[in-house]
Amino acid sequence: MISVEPIGNVAALRLDRAEKRNALTPTMLASLRGAIDRATAADCILLSGVGEVFCAGFDLKLCQGDPAMLPALLRALAECITALRDSPCPVVVSAHGAAIAGGCALLAPADVIVTNAEARVGYPVVLLGISPAVNTPFLRSLIGDGPTRTRSLDPGLVSGTHALRIGLAHECVPTVAECEPRALELATQLALKPRYALRATRAWLRTLAPLDHATDALHASLSLCGSPEETGLLAALWNKETTK
Amino acid sequence: MTTPDPQPSLVTLDVNGRLATLTLNRPEARNALSIALLDALHATLDQLASSPGVSVLVVTGAGKSFCAGMDLKAVLGDPDAPLQLLSKLADACLKLRALPMVAVAKVNGAAIGGGCGLTCVCDLSITHADSKMGFPEVDLGVCPAVVAPWLVRKIGAGKARRVLLQGGLLTGQQAFEMGIVDQAVASAADLDAAVASVTDRLTKGGPAALAATKGLLNRLDGSLDATLARQGAEISARVLETPEAQAMLRERR
Repeated sequence: MISVEPIGNVAALRLDRAEKRNALTPTMLASLRGAIDRATAADCILLSGVGEVFCAGFDLKLCQGDPAMLPALLRALAECITALRDSPCPVVVSAHGAAIAGGCALLAPADVIVTNAEARVGYPVVLLGISPAVNTPFLRSLIGDGPTRTRSLDPGLVSGTHALRIGLAHECVPTVAECEPRALELATQLALKPRYALRATRAWLRTLAPLDHATDALHASLSLCGSPEETGLLAALWNKETTK
Repeated sequence: MTTPDPQPSLVTLDVNGRLATLTLNRPEARNALSIALLDALHATLDQLASSPGVSVLVVTGAGKSFCAGMDLKAVLGDPDAPLQLLSKLADACLKLRALPMVAVAKVNGAAIGGGCGLTCVCDLSITHADSKMGFPEVDLGVCPAVVAPWLVRKIGAGKARRVLLQGGLLTGQQAFEMGIVDQAVASAADLDAAVASVTDRLTKGGPAALAATKGLLNRLDGSLDATLARQGAEISARVLETPEAQAMLRERR
């Protein structure tokens, strides 16, 4: 469910579950984590998704009848975004089509994010009684305090154009089809730069934007798992899906 | 026998009432930051720190450039000189930021690397659409660690990651769109008037109110963290010593 393709000195890691809009499972996140760790010899990581959508978030259907699933997803997501942040090589993301909830969280530790104008981006998870707290320390280091507060509390999705305005993307191309090629172009440019200087600069920038309360943030999200509110809202979601 | 002209000052200071203008004055080297120029800058900043009548400071460059960055070629081959040069820049940035008066960068031309960093240390910055700005350090195998904290404070960590890792140069207009400068006028001919308009406005403000506000902002964003600034100089110097950087810099010489 994760495809790995070396393109020159770029390690292209793609979420590869297009039929489910690349919805994340614990296995997929564990594979992604392994692929990130193995990509350290590359000069740049390109993170993308197969198909029209980068990532629709957690595969919440797996949580039906399995109370251990949501905590497992949250923990695996936290490990992935931490691995992306700690990677020595720069990370470019093609956030095409949609980057929602857990998919949007994968943007926060990236150095360069390319999206498209009509993309849907955001964290609608409070509608399901789930807190996006796990990602907020990472999001603050990308877009600052004001936008982090708005985007974490407001479950509305924003367009790629708006994501560019608030710093949740660095470039916004007109169409989905242009997104990954542009991201690959930028990743290739980064991969050609002097390796030592690039890695030293990335490490120093990490020091300049320290992560505060990352463990507390994960626990804040975990603490709601199995709460009556979350259980009730997820049950309502299943009922809605069944009656569709 | 004629007496040779005294060495022209590498940094000049012109005080006119509440407004002072500091000019980097090495136009033949595009105002590149040498150890001698940074020493002159330190002396001028010390003088400004005890100039209570001044409430607004314009920082600019003589000639066509604002500042072409660190004079790295001059320190190649001397093992101690890079850290000395970078530490002097890191300390000058702290001194400039700590001044009680509001500093306005008048970016009259190229502001590159350390030069672009100086514009970020100023409280406001104005350039023209065609100036060249940016941080091409990584392209030269060098790490922009001294200026990185100032860019992060200016545009935020997320945008700074992209700008510093991608290297290259930007036009004044692009720098404005990214928030690296606060205003980009259409042409160089419009710059004097735009800066005068801002400084006129600023000099009308109460000096104590401006100084108190600036002091608070400096505390809020940790601007005066000397440990971090010196750590930046050490990282930059360490990367500069690598064979990768040395080879690339010699190639350019």
